[in-house]
Amino acid sequence: MFQLDKPMPGINEDSAPYWEGTRQGELRAQCCSDCGHLRFPPAIVCPKCLSENTTWRRLSGRGTVYSFIIVHRPQHPAFLDDVPYNVAIIELEEGLRMHTNIVDCSDEDLRIGMPVEAVFEKINDEVTLPKFRHAR
Amino acid sequence: MRMADLKVLSEQTAIAGIGLSRFGKFPGVSSMGFALEASKRAIEDAGITRDSIDGVLVLMSPLMGEQHGWASRVAAYLGVTPSFCSTMDMGGATPIGMIQTAAMLIHAGMCTTVLCTFGCQNSPKGVFPMLFGSEFAIPYGDIGAITFMAHVGRRQMHELGVTSEQYGAIAVAFRAHAAKNPDAQKREPITLEDHQRSPVIADPLRRLDCCLITDGGGACIVTSAERARDLRQPLVLVSGFGQMHSAEIIRPWDNGRGGGAEAAEAAYKMAGVGPKDIQVVQLYDGFTPLVMHELVAYGFCKAGEAGSFVADGNLLCEGALPANTAGGLLSEGHLSGFGHVAEAVRQIRGTSYCQVPGAEISMVTGYGGAPHEAPPTVAYTVAILRCG
Repeated sequence: MFQLDKPMPGINEDSAPYWEGTRQGELRAQCCSDCGHLRFPPAIVCPKCLSENTTWRRLSGRGTVYSFIIVHRPQHPAFLDDVPYNVAIIELEEGLRMHTNIVDCSDEDLRIGMPVEAVFEKINDEVTLPKFRHAR
Repeated sequence: MRMADLKVLSEQTAIAGIGLSRFGKFPGVSSMGFALEASKRAIEDAGITRDSIDGVLVLMSPLMGEQHGWASRVAAYLGVTPSFCSTMDMGGATPIGMIQTAAMLIHAGMCTTVLCTFGCQNSPKGVFPMLFGSEFAIPYGDIGAITFMAHVGRRQMHELGVTSEQYGAIAVAFRAHAAKNPDAQKREPITLEDHQRSPVIADPLRRLDCCLITDGGGACIVTSAERARDLRQPLVLVSGFGQMHSAEIIRPWDNGRGGGAEAAEAAYKMAGVGPKDIQVVQLYDGFTPLVMHELVAYGFCKAGEAGSFVADGNLLCEGALPANTAGGLLSEGHLSGFGHVAEAVRQIRGTSYCQVPGAEISMVTGYGGAPHEAPPTVAYTVAILRCG
């Protein structure tokens, strides 16, 4: 049967260190070398001070569920076989928020505020997607 | 946000003409076709000659891909040779942004009469674009405005105690208004039970929480108040307007009122009115949680009261705040906000199918942007119209 691939992230100059981190099993975010502001998603300048000087910092990978939804009618056909599936927004300990899927957890058990930790799902040689699971 | 005193622009311009194309499901009509049809109707409605138009602003849907000079091409197809022409894109926030821009162009003396228009054909192309900034959400199946608004709904439920039934009350009210609008795409009245039985799209959103998909277009003509006085239609003055751009709507409650509040504050200040003076409002209603959000952000009710406010029927034509009296995006059709502008004008003219008796102050809102980004970047626009 015809199988449509899921859309994968296009890796660019700004985001390459992030995806290199996920391949190695760690979450990273840019930290402004001048003002210390931590930012995600990656960008060439700091939104606080416009500095281009950046270092990448390893994050704890721990956080809590800020929001979650259960998709029943996906807007892309490649996700049809997955329904219903969850998408969550995680608030990381460091204050950043990111989209993800919560794995190893039934949809009924999802709660705002639930503690979670990152796990890493290898999709192909280039892309490893960070996902999250309930931290017990 | 710095807020300029825009009183100098208040009531200097008017919306002299409105026009909507055929809308609904019209697969054979092009985006250009809809824009031209709507524009022609707006020109006729205003009773002006085509040659008096010297400014053309056109909303271009991102569905259309790269289309250089789109506004100039719409002008060319209309046989108009404008002295100012611009393609604009803030999604559903654009029509009001155009009215603002037109008011500035007229005030600056660059134009006398500005056509604002739009047309969209939603032909599915099968190719899914990886839009800039989407790579941290789409791989997880979080795609587009629906999932984004589902997150907003989830947070409202968590923070405000809003229920799915209260979202349903919004959908039911707007459908009741659409039932009186012969042009509306969905006219069959619905009940709360219908809402609760409609399929879940992205929990907590059901199908009846989501806007329609519409092929069609819309337009309006903005000119100076002085010129508008001599034209065919009753004078509808542009009394106030404002914009706000936010990259963080999923934190809408941090300031107690939420994203967009500054847009309304600027419009109220310019028009010299407050939320209590608004007799009828057309709220940009892509999804029911957005309506809930706007009611709080624009000062119509307190955060904790939004759910009961809508459940008590206040948005109905006979309620305390008649809203979306043509049916809105949820039931009339999705014309990216041009349907809202047209209905806000009709309320002042006294020609709505769901007329609020004696309406002299009418508000209309817009909302749009890039919901696929994480965090999303969105624009809020507000305009206040007044009877001349």
